Amino acid sequence: MSKINKTKTAGIVIETLATFLSISLIIFFLLYLADANFSEAIRGFIKSSIGGRKNAYLFTTFSKMALITGMAIAALIAFRAGLFNIGGEGQLVVGGLVSAFVGLSVADFGLYGILLALASGMAAGAIWALLSGFLTIYMGVPLLVGSLLLNYPARYISSYLVSHPFRDVNSGLPQTFLLPKSVWLPYFQGTRLDVGIILIFLVYLFILVISQKTKYGYYSKCMGISFSFAKISGLPTKKIVFETLALSGAIAGLVGSIAVLGIHHRFTDGMLVQPLYAWTGIIAALMVNLNLWGIPLAGFFFAAISTGAAGMERIAQVPKEIATIIQAIIILFVVGKLGSLGSASISSGESDHD
Amino acid sequence: MHVSLRGITVDFGNLRAVDKVSLEANAGEIHAVVGENGAGKSTIMSVLYGSNTDFSGDILCNGKRVSWSSPRDAIKAGIGMVHQHFMLVGNLTVLENITLGNELINQFGFIKFNTIRANILNIISRYKIHIDLDELVDNLSVAQRQIVEIIKLLYRESMVLILDEPTAVLTPNEREIFFHSLRNFKAENKTIILITHKIDEVMDIADHVTVLRNGKLISSSHLNTTNKEKISQEIVGREIPRLNIKRGAYENKKILDVKDVIIKTNFNAKQAINFCIKKGEIIGIAGVSGNGQTELIETLIGIRRASDGEINLLDRNIINENTQTRRMMGISFVPQDRQRDGLALGASVWENACITKVNNKKFSWGSFLRKENMKAFSRSLIREFNIKVNGPDALVRTMSGGNMQKLVVARELSSQCPLIIIENPTWGIDIGSIAFIHQKIMDIKSAGVAILLVSNELDEITSLSDSAFVMYEGTLSKRISKGENFRELIGQHMLSGFNTYYSPTGISPDE
Repeated sequence: MSKINKTKTAGIVIETLATFLSISLIIFFLLYLADANFSEAIRGFIKSSIGGRKNAYLFTTFSKMALITGMAIAALIAFRAGLFNIGGEGQLVVGGLVSAFVGLSVADFGLYGILLALASGMAAGAIWALLSGFLTIYMGVPLLVGSLLLNYPARYISSYLVSHPFRDVNSGLPQTFLLPKSVWLPYFQGTRLDVGIILIFLVYLFILVISQKTKYGYYSKCMGISFSFAKISGLPTKKIVFETLALSGAIAGLVGSIAVLGIHHRFTDGMLVQPLYAWTGIIAALMVNLNLWGIPLAGFFFAAISTGAAGMERIAQVPKEIATIIQAIIILFVVGKLGSLGSASISSGESDHD
Repeated sequence: MHVSLRGITVDFGNLRAVDKVSLEANAGEIHAVVGENGAGKSTIMSVLYGSNTDFSGDILCNGKRVSWSSPRDAIKAGIGMVHQHFMLVGNLTVLENITLGNELINQFGFIKFNTIRANILNIISRYKIHIDLDELVDNLSVAQRQIVEIIKLLYRESMVLILDEPTAVLTPNEREIFFHSLRNFKAENKTIILITHKIDEVMDIADHVTVLRNGKLISSSHLNTTNKEKISQEIVGREIPRLNIKRGAYENKKILDVKDVIIKTNFNAKQAINFCIKKGEIIGIAGVSGNGQTELIETLIGIRRASDGEINLLDRNIINENTQTRRMMGISFVPQDRQRDGLALGASVWENACITKVNNKKFSWGSFLRKENMKAFSRSLIREFNIKVNGPDALVRTMSGGNMQKLVVARELSSQCPLIIIENPTWGIDIGSIAFIHQKIMDIKSAGVAILLVSNELDEITSLSDSAFVMYEGTLSKRISKGENFRELIGQHMLSGFNTYYSPTGISPDE
């Protein structure tokens, strides 16, 4: 038995080294193409994902991590109930847009204004997600299709609103007016990191508790494993579908609100779509095999990769395209690696779920 | 072809799945391999078929030592296997499935479908098989799919046919036809190895029977030197307890009263369904599967809407209630498909054991679960139903079929509902578990539960129920009371409906 374990461990070590080597080779080749200095590029990558003066870049990574983790949680709770809500992007955009509008009109209410803006962002995201639920349950549109297609109206309605009726014309960009400082999410002392990450952490704790300790968590897990089992066991399946989608949409909406109130302080067309927060969140959730415990780490990983790539571009003059390709390659290798580990350890990993 | 396995040993980690088992099968012989789930039947066959190469011992074909690196080698040598779960591609035709992986091509790389078709037609006429080669496999019944699998083997000219639980999915009628084909193959000097756990089939058709238990060879003998009782004992390793039945003890109180319910089935039957079940009574519903039993059950538990009539549970009409309400009002249900409907395989034992009981004060406090109580309850079920599993936290997926079924039955029988609907409770499980589950059903009957037993197994219906109905093409027969011709009457109705009389010569195995 121990012999087997030894060879297994050796195998894993060799495999990891091989993976690392192949990543390095590909990156080296790409940097060679881009005519960049290899060591400078790598230093730039690491420095700008977790370093910087007064750790400024690390805080940027954290701020991104909050958004990606939030979207990963939103995807995860829907997926674990067997609901393939891939409309996180639309829910995120709607949430961000609504809290920008609410934020602009509640400037005088201070903290209450912030809470109102956050709450309305969450409500908007939830309603957007429920819309795909209604399409599924009452019209027979598969959730996968319905939730995906609802991304487009969200994106283009927001695009229209901030390009025409609500545009800050003088800024020269399709975006809303800047929010008054009174509704900005506060920063941590001496940093440019807003408290959004705390909100996401609270959401994370909340989801941990309800998924492990409550009837809802128990029911939705069973429904995710077998819908037919849930139905025959007499679970309120329709209710679980709507509750889950509302929750998932609300979290996505909250992420949009945080991006608006904490980071950009206005809604700019495409600002939530182009960084692919929603899709990255889905990949992060799948990468950890829908295991809640792995979510923060996955969120950090994806955030670090993306700020790192941006830093490489800035410091080592690696073109943005190459930096993006490098980012994608690292993700592919890591996901592939974890994927193969995950499928082997599903049976052992699941049993310590409670 | 004569095949022999000598001293085969297979280890899965620390578990010895097969322990020095030897087995000989002659040409022109039907060799049955029997044993409970997990006895090692399928494992030793996977060695012969080449899908398991990690073993010690020898395989001999016609006296010569052989070794395979994959099933391809075994197939080339003339060994074919039909797995319990068919390996067919649903959206290809029968012909395409048969030739898949073994296509004849011309010099331009095109498949010679005409030659292939001629070859297959030749085979099916030789064995008097009837099948439409251009039908999509998706549109075939389970029995027809099995025929396709077997034609595949014949097309590859396999001389050894390994059949894993081939009759589990067949109706009695289809089984007769299937056995007829097996006898034809035997006459053609093919070697047939039949994995099964139905002893009656062994007695019907086998020439030689090998019994495995816990991976060990228990006996291997000609059929005429052994008998049914002996084989059963060898399979289980002990005497099977006799069913302890207290009959006729039911009270005159109606628990379920179904009045003029019209169920929607694939048949155009518009006949109203009427029956009632009294306290402590077992009503059996027999019938060849696919005659509307599923629709009837779904209507009773509220998955399917009935268009008309009344379903009275304890004098309250529940026809408009959903499943959740019906369960709360006192219906519990053991579904046939434990893997899809009865259990969540990826969840733990306690999560499965308590799913219908969460609203019980003992198991929840507001929205929160009381997991310790749930686990304690699961432990008590494991003990009471003798379920072999590693405690309440183990994943259900790791359990054997018989233990899974025990878990479903344990959950539903412990619900203290006045009515329990049970659908094929012993489908595909071993004799020991069958006897155990039958006894538990009799026990709750004595405790005064009304039971609706829907089963395709005639023996199950006749030995357990107080009276029975037969379902045929969406309609229900008259009530058949337990009496002299109970079994015969049910059998007749099952095969030919309620009007015409069934004669044993009426079915031709060739059709």
